[in-house]
Amino acid sequence: MVAAALEPFMKGDTGRNTRGLLRLIILCTIAGAAVASRLFSVIRFESIIHEFDPWFNFRATKYLVQNGFYSFWDWFDDRTWHPLGRVTGGTLYPGLMVTSGIIYHILRLLSMPVDIRNICVLLAPGFSGLTAFASYLITSEMTTSPSAGLLAAAFMGITPGYISRSVAGSYDNEAIAIFLLVFTFYLWIKAVKNGSAMWGALTALFYGYMVSAWGGYVFITNLLPLHAFVLICMGRYSPRLYVSYSTWFALGTLASMQIPFVGFLPIRSSEHMSALGVFGLVQLVAFVEFVRQQVPNKQFQTLLRGLILVIFAVSMGALVLLTVSGVIAPWSGRFYSLWDTGYAKIHIPIIASVSEHQPTAWPAFFFDLNLMIWLFPAGVYLCFQQLKDEHVFVVIYAVLASYFAGVMVRLMLTLTPVVCIAAALALSSILDTYLVANNPTPKETQPNGQATGDVVKNATDYIKDSLRSTRNPVLGIYSYISKASVVGAVTTYLLLFVLHCTWVTSNAYSSPSVVLASKLPDGSQHIIDDYREAYYWLRQNTPPKAKIMSWWDYGYQIGGMADRPTLVDNNTWNNTHIATVGKAMSSREEVSYPILRQHDVDYVLIVFGGLLGYSGDDINKFLWMVRISEGIWPEEINERNYFTARGEYRVDDEATPTMRNSLMYKMSYYNYNALFPAGQAQDRVRGSKLPAEGPQLSTMEEAFTSENWIIRIYKVKDLDNVGRDHASAVAFDKGNKKKKTAKRRGARALRVE
Amino acid sequence: MPPKQRAQISSTSSVPPIPKSITSTSQSTTHGKSSSTSSFSSKSNQSAQDVLIDLWNNYLNTTPQRVKLVDVFMAFLVMVGGLQFVYCVLVGNYPFNAFLSGFSATVGQFVLTASLRIQTNPENKMEFRSVSHERAFADFVFGSLILHFFCVNFIN
Amino acid sequence: MRWLLSLTFAALLGIVQALSSSGSRLLVVVEEAAERAKYSTFWKDLEERGYKLTFDSPKNDKLSLFQHGERSFDHILLLPPKSKGLGPALTPNLLLQFINKDGNILLTLSADAPTPTAIFSLLLELDIHLPPDRNSLVVDHFNYDTTSASEKHDVLLLTRSSPLRSDARNFFGGDGALAFPRAVAQELGNTSPLLAPILRAKSTAYSYSPKDVVETVEDPFAIGEQIALVSSMQARNSARFTVFGSAEALEDKWFDAKVKPVGGKDSKTANREFAQQVTAWTFKELGVLKVGSVEHHLSSISEESFGNDSVARLGYLNPTIYRVKNDVTFNIEFSEYSYDHLAPLKIDPADALQLEFTMLSPFHRLDLVPISTTANSTIFSSSFKLPDQHGIFSFRVNYKRPFLTNVDVKREVTVRHFAHDEWPRSWEISAGWVWIAGVWITVIGWVAFVGIWLWSEPAYDKSKGKKMQ
Repeated sequence: MVAAALEPFMKGDTGRNTRGLLRLIILCTIAGAAVASRLFSVIRFESIIHEFDPWFNFRATKYLVQNGFYSFWDWFDDRTWHPLGRVTGGTLYPGLMVTSGIIYHILRLLSMPVDIRNICVLLAPGFSGLTAFASYLITSEMTTSPSAGLLAAAFMGITPGYISRSVAGSYDNEAIAIFLLVFTFYLWIKAVKNGSAMWGALTALFYGYMVSAWGGYVFITNLLPLHAFVLICMGRYSPRLYVSYSTWFALGTLASMQIPFVGFLPIRSSEHMSALGVFGLVQLVAFVEFVRQQVPNKQFQTLLRGLILVIFAVSMGALVLLTVSGVIAPWSGRFYSLWDTGYAKIHIPIIASVSEHQPTAWPAFFFDLNLMIWLFPAGVYLCFQQLKDEHVFVVIYAVLASYFAGVMVRLMLTLTPVVCIAAALALSSILDTYLVANNPTPKETQPNGQATGDVVKNATDYIKDSLRSTRNPVLGIYSYISKASVVGAVTTYLLLFVLHCTWVTSNAYSSPSVVLASKLPDGSQHIIDDYREAYYWLRQNTPPKAKIMSWWDYGYQIGGMADRPTLVDNNTWNNTHIATVGKAMSSREEVSYPILRQHDVDYVLIVFGGLLGYSGDDINKFLWMVRISEGIWPEEINERNYFTARGEYRVDDEATPTMRNSLMYKMSYYNYNALFPAGQAQDRVRGSKLPAEGPQLSTMEEAFTSENWIIRIYKVKDLDNVGRDHASAVAFDKGNKKKKTAKRRGARALRVE
Repeated sequence: MPPKQRAQISSTSSVPPIPKSITSTSQSTTHGKSSSTSSFSSKSNQSAQDVLIDLWNNYLNTTPQRVKLVDVFMAFLVMVGGLQFVYCVLVGNYPFNAFLSGFSATVGQFVLTASLRIQTNPENKMEFRSVSHERAFADFVFGSLILHFFCVNFIN
Repeated sequence: MRWLLSLTFAALLGIVQALSSSGSRLLVVVEEAAERAKYSTFWKDLEERGYKLTFDSPKNDKLSLFQHGERSFDHILLLPPKSKGLGPALTPNLLLQFINKDGNILLTLSADAPTPTAIFSLLLELDIHLPPDRNSLVVDHFNYDTTSASEKHDVLLLTRSSPLRSDARNFFGGDGALAFPRAVAQELGNTSPLLAPILRAKSTAYSYSPKDVVETVEDPFAIGEQIALVSSMQARNSARFTVFGSAEALEDKWFDAKVKPVGGKDSKTANREFAQQVTAWTFKELGVLKVGSVEHHLSSISEESFGNDSVARLGYLNPTIYRVKNDVTFNIEFSEYSYDHLAPLKIDPADALQLEFTMLSPFHRLDLVPISTTANSTIFSSSFKLPDQHGIFSFRVNYKRPFLTNVDVKREVTVRHFAHDEWPRSWEISAGWVWIAGVWITVIGWVAFVGIWLWSEPAYDKSKGKKMQ
């Protein structure tokens, strides 16, 4: 994958130009590899937007391209969150859309009209190449060995932890945000190293870009102050730190406030308070340093130090006070769930219901990072050995990101860059030691370097700097056997890593999840395209203003593919509205119907995997609907009622009446019996036999069921024309005529009118 | 032509840090008294007024003119910012974005100027080997322009 | 009200050739030709008003209410059959389907002919209840015709019921006694808002079952004013269904019979007039509202500013999106159909035509006031300020009154938030001047500082130079 063809590289003395060129070529090939390995999904399936959120981003980008930036900014979207609508322009991170909009216009300017969809699909792979480059830069700041940088770039390019969010078609904020994250960190380290206001200002600018692109910017907002804080605590305060931190904070905060969605948050919410606090601290320390420069008096210094602590404590107290009194918004729920993993489950089911927000399983670390997971501690250890300012940064980053990645699957993404950097540091130091450094004067290259491109490349990059490392007392390894074995082992590991990455990428991370693939018994691939089938049915068979109700997972896709208004979508800003939908889904028909009427629902869309064994269906998500609506209507919805007496969640004969009468259950299994011989109906996801008699629906009628029954769409009936309730209307249509007036008991209700 | 001159100077100035350290120590001796005014842990028996005057004179004598200029500007910024803050406390922060941009403009400018002061202060030469005075000033202008753009944009 | 009455009389006098607003094809289901002849005056009256009568027997196999999924008739008039059922063409489901497709039905009952089960169950679906004993009839020992039913007291003499509600339109008023021989009592369900009695029995009436006298005494089916003799159901789609309790009352002999109440004088029955009123209402000659144009636009833009420029008009009329706090004007044109023409709708002062501006629940509920009338319509209008809440709202006019067709007009509009350039600029808020001044002072100070800095270059050099040495 990485370029080979480097036999005659050995003119190390002809100048650094050759090496620079070589490095450039290697970086380009790494970027190429990074892009190429992300194209599996396009090749396997097609150029299509993946998953859920990307569909919204894609729709927003289309809007931006069609209507221009200003109307995008003022965009009021009346096709989501019916009937509330969404002030979309003010509630999204516009960085991604604006980026692809700019690319689109530049390409048009160059008279290369490319469909905006293709730009969106390929944006993430494109930026992954830049990320590889950024990680090269940042690693090069850490060490003198350039091989580390190249290794980091290569790791970053193909590590599954990053590929998982940046394959072609996964057009999400993370696509550009990871590049911005790494690059901002690079600029920051540059700024701290040089004490330059320009680098600080650039850090702020890219920080601003990052803010506009991803909510994860808060990670930077807290990491940089923490770095500064730790440096100060280590007694490493320097004017360079003052310059870089102050410049970054002053400009970066203002820059972040330019994003409408962020607005006043940087001075109102707790997540940003650490940055503000450290800013104050830095000012104080700077002032004290300024005074100290003039005063050598020891007592005075201690006094001042005490003063700092007092002021710090007082401002901390003020912060707490302000938070309690409500001037500063307390930590948002997502952040609580970072500290207390059980918090979300109890208090905010809507956050806990997202699989991305679940704690990470241990195998996932190895799955996503492979050999780097054990090189990572070694790299961190190496940082401890040197422990300059930038190494402190890596250490802090490593510690924090490891914790966060353990708490939330999604934050694996922030861990990946530091793992790549640390692993590259460790590996390059191994290679530097074993590949070359036998004698201080080995002018000829080692012949065992031809193993693979990767290793050879590292070797080549190493050569030119070998002199520096061997300036130390000569501790080289002289035995060729040990050298060969270590290098061989490392080479094998690297090869395995490449294999693993390729395998993971092609098998695990390249599925668009809009289109499902399955293997037929004969091994051929079978495409299950129910989602698009159903969405296009909606698009072509319903009026353009028909309101579709579904669980929020599918809101963005319906908006993007079916182009119909939805009640709730993946932008889960209004918990009550989602709970309303949850209530409609989990209640009896008689309760649901008025809700549906009130919200003008025309169609209800559900996902049902029972026929195909597709486990991500609505019945499996059903408990979240129940929980979320229970949070709002605890007296009407009770989670316990959906479990059997023995606490099981069942859909068969033993399912509780509440479960069997819920709208979701009825819609899922309506008419499902008809597919099977009598009494044989089986749900292949839950692996249970269904009741012999299927549920009856009276307030809705089946409108569409996709080929594999994954999507079922129901039309909500209008009120009965002659004023009956729906159940009796259905009974009448079936021929069950009322024979007699029901015997009345008690006093007669007289008509007064 | 001026750039050349400056470049020369900066290159030469970066070489001998020793005299500066001497001056700084001499400064600190005089300042030892002055600082006592702020901390009140004085060992000297001079009156506070004398100390202040002493400090002031010392400052006037030992500070390069440009640094003085920077200090004047910083004092000006502190004044403007302080006024705004007082006004905000007294009257209220009704157009909050306007208050924020007004106040943070002064704070940001102050910080940037402080950076400039630190960078151009000959005493910090060691720390900023890669930053020449011209570079520092260019950085300062760059940062300030960004700052002003953001503030004016934010105030709408 | 008065003009309506006068129109009614005009129609009665046969001056106007009326025509229903929803078609003239009328199917009369009658079993035998002999039966048909009994009602000849009634048929003549209907034909005079423009109906094309088709007589058919329920036993006819070819009879079908629908052809190719469309109604074959606009209205149905069912006379009580002699046989037990109504045949395969007139099952309750088909009749209900006929109603759902906007067809109107006038159903007549008679105590002489037991009501078929099909009809019985259809009525149950509509929440209209008939006595369980199919031979029950309404008896009133105080209000009966002494000439024809001095023994049995089963020919009721009635006056028209008073209007249902004070604000409801009365299409069935008039003087004169109505003779209702051998009527079948109906009892209307209590919950359905679609049901309304047209003619009620007197408070002394009761439903008498000849078979089961004990039951009548102990637990009578219905008594007094709870007995409806003529009742109506207007479906949500405004299709009308009327149950006429006494088919006999429509016969020729009762149209011009002389009746004599207890202790009263001889008089001519008003049956013919009443039959006209009931059929006119059922077959939608009366009480049909029609909505003409529905417009809404910003109040700031008036029609005059465009004159006759239709293109410009299109631009400002009925936009799909407004902004919060816009001033908006809503106009709706209403006509009412009466017998043969559309007339401007007049709203009773006790009543009001209201506009709702609603999202989930109404944010505004305003009276629409008539601003102008044309030859056959009234334009109602209302202007208001949109609420300070963005979302997808509807202009909704929901006007449902007894005996008038249902009007439920909904126009969906989006109300958006302030765009970024619609907020006041900073300098328009005087409170912000201080901060603006702060920013600009900083900027000016900075410029001055930069200037002085550059200018002071040599001086700095000098000091520097001194220091160096």
